[in-house]
Amino acid sequence: MDWKILGRNDRLYVTQFEEETNLRAMVVCDASRSMAWTGSPETVLPKLAYAQRLIAALSLVLLRQRDATGLITFDDDVRTVLPPRARLSHWRQLLATLGALEAGMGTAAEPALRRVVNQLRRRGLVVFVSDLLLDRDLALKALRFLRHRGHQVLVLHLMDPGEVLLGGPVEARFEDPETRAAVVLRPRDWAAPYRDTVRAVVREWKLACRRHGIAYHRVTTDTPYGVVLREALAPSSRTA
Amino acid sequence: MIGFLHPWALAGLAAAAIPLLLHLLARREPPTVVFPAVRYLITTTREHQRRLKLQHLLLLLFRTALIVALVLSAAGPTLPRRGVAGHAPSALVLVVDNSPSSGVVVAGTSRLSQIQAAARQVLARATPDDALWLLAADGVPRRGDRQALLDQVGTLPLSSRRLDLGAALGLAGEILAGEARPGEIALLTDLQASAVSPAELHVPLVVGRPDGPPPPNVGIARLETGPQPWSADGGRLTVSLVGDSGAGTPVTARLGTRPPRQALARVGGGAVLVMPGVPPGWWDADAELDPDELRLDDRRVGVVRVAAVARVNWDSASRFVAAACEVLESNRRIARGSEVTLGRLARGSSIVQPPEDPAALGALNRALASRGVTWRYGSPLIEPATTDSGALLGRVRVFRRYQLQTAQSGRTGVLATVNGAPWLVRSADVVLLGSRLEPAWTDLPVSAGFMPFMDALVNRLARGEVSLADGAPGDPVALPDLVSEVRQGERDWHVEGGGVFRPGEPGAYYLVAGDDTVGAITANIDPRESLLAPATDAQARRLWKDARLVSLDEVADAVFSGAARGDLRGPLLWLALVLALAETALASLWRRQAR
Repeated sequence: MDWKILGRNDRLYVTQFEEETNLRAMVVCDASRSMAWTGSPETVLPKLAYAQRLIAALSLVLLRQRDATGLITFDDDVRTVLPPRARLSHWRQLLATLGALEAGMGTAAEPALRRVVNQLRRRGLVVFVSDLLLDRDLALKALRFLRHRGHQVLVLHLMDPGEVLLGGPVEARFEDPETRAAVVLRPRDWAAPYRDTVRAVVREWKLACRRHGIAYHRVTTDTPYGVVLREALAPSSRTA
Repeated sequence: MIGFLHPWALAGLAAAAIPLLLHLLARREPPTVVFPAVRYLITTTREHQRRLKLQHLLLLLFRTALIVALVLSAAGPTLPRRGVAGHAPSALVLVVDNSPSSGVVVAGTSRLSQIQAAARQVLARATPDDALWLLAADGVPRRGDRQALLDQVGTLPLSSRRLDLGAALGLAGEILAGEARPGEIALLTDLQASAVSPAELHVPLVVGRPDGPPPPNVGIARLETGPQPWSADGGRLTVSLVGDSGAGTPVTARLGTRPPRQALARVGGGAVLVMPGVPPGWWDADAELDPDELRLDDRRVGVVRVAAVARVNWDSASRFVAAACEVLESNRRIARGSEVTLGRLARGSSIVQPPEDPAALGALNRALASRGVTWRYGSPLIEPATTDSGALLGRVRVFRRYQLQTAQSGRTGVLATVNGAPWLVRSADVVLLGSRLEPAWTDLPVSAGFMPFMDALVNRLARGEVSLADGAPGDPVALPDLVSEVRQGERDWHVEGGGVFRPGEPGAYYLVAGDDTVGAITANIDPRESLLAPATDAQARRLWKDARLVSLDEVADAVFSGAARGDLRGPLLWLALVLALAETALASLWRRQAR
């Protein structure tokens, strides 16, 4: 109610207005060797390529809202840091950075997440895009720290369909591209237990994130980007 | 101890290594696949490794055990098992004693019926996998399945042939020697002591014998008709008895259709019955006892030849021949005349001795040839030898002789031999002696057999007749060369002279050459069959090592349980089926879980 108009001419008026607050967002992108893998090269993008496109779309949405958006990429160390800017022209810089991004070696998320603190002085949004094939305790510790500093934290857990359902030859030696750890087994025998393990891992991440007010989304790389953005940027989703 | 019917099949056990080999071959270096989520795989394997290993080990065990079970069942394993209904496939020779003694009637039932009932019970325990033979008194092994042998046992007649139990067991052992299956002999018998003889056995033997003692029995052991031919004045029949009773037993004797004569006889002794004269010809004679529990030995047959005695012209210069002829003449076995000339070749029937002077031999041979005689005298032999024992002549020493040679192929007309060489032959109506009937040539003139020999020589051989032969049913009887046919009543058999004839049933069999009856065979059961006393178990065990003796009622239980072995093929095949089902069920279950 506009009480001033009511006092002057005894008429009821409802005044509408818009208030815009500028959000500062930092996207933290995992560029480790595991992110360069795809189980079906002909039909499914590697996780890193999917992440590049997803981050590009996300940052465009944020910048169009005049939210300042920055980018940090890492593998076994922080690779690039692009401070958040609200100008739309900043998106081209983001694209250039993402375009130049190549898969590195190992995965060390904790230093990259701690670098976010330097970039976001005020409360903001942290989007962590990774396949989460990393040290879970360290990563959770860093995410909790960000949450403790008042940031909204959104974890996008990228998974290739080939990682969800185990397949391959009758018997194979499965080798980790980062650690070179290997295991020999028959996928036919191990598909079900593996599926259960993946479910358990996802459940554990989900529970751990929920416990600390962190939004968590598992994203398979054959999911359309729009679906992911709609779910990830919904207000209910961003507040765990 | 486990045994195997087809041990060679055990080589298939090597196939049990196939699952293990496939497993090892599958363990070759697999291709490497880059996979970022190896940490999930490591977590998974850490949690499920033991379970999956156990599953794989179980499947490997099931598959190996399945192959082992199939191979073992193919090898036909057997296990000793007593007192069980089933048994492993076995080879069984069932010896059924249907000899004459088994015809004895005890408590209204013949012994053979009891033996047949026991045989049926034994055969009822047989399975289609068993190899079965039936061996009876005829000595012919019959192979057949259970039903076929049951039919044969049911129709098995009382045989008139004696069954030597030792020989039968030996034959049964030979039958089983070629069998891969475990063999066994079941002997169902009255266990007559006179039929028991040693046998070397390599297979288990079960003897089923009656429990109770046999009834006392008396039978006719011999019926002697005396020197042949009889004159028209008649002759004497001598009947000898055998058996258990010492009391006098009435004996009835008949000759042809003449009224019977009776006399009392005792076991171990004989009765002589004077029979009335009958016209010339061949006559059936028989002696009979009053019926007792064993009927088959209560009657015995014989044959009597009735003919006028030979009219003989003999040389008085030949001392031993003349003396013998004078004795025969005084006993009215011969008469003086010209029907038969003894000592030299003459018109009519002649019995020729070799001449004392070797220079006369050529003329004699020429005279023989001109008479159409196919035999001639050859070179002289001066060496001690012995005549071969035969129906006409026993073993007599011969010091000098001439070889007798024939122009024809074969040895037609040979009546007696020395070391296998002809010594007494006949061709047409001429009989040739290889030696002179003098002590310098042969012992015959100074032996006890000389008179019967001379009697037969002039009364039968010179007339073209042959001796009477006696034998048991089924025994081979040598036939003279000239015989072409054997007749018994309305039946007749065409035979080959020089061969053998086996009379099937007791009775008189006449030997026919052309249109003439030249001899006869009398077939009667073996007198030992009249001795019903059984052998003791100890005697039987002494003769047949490890024999198991049971009563006829228990023999069916003893046969397959004593030596039989349990067949493990059935349980093994069931085990294989269970293993196959378990393997299939577990593999599919675990595969479904793994998806």
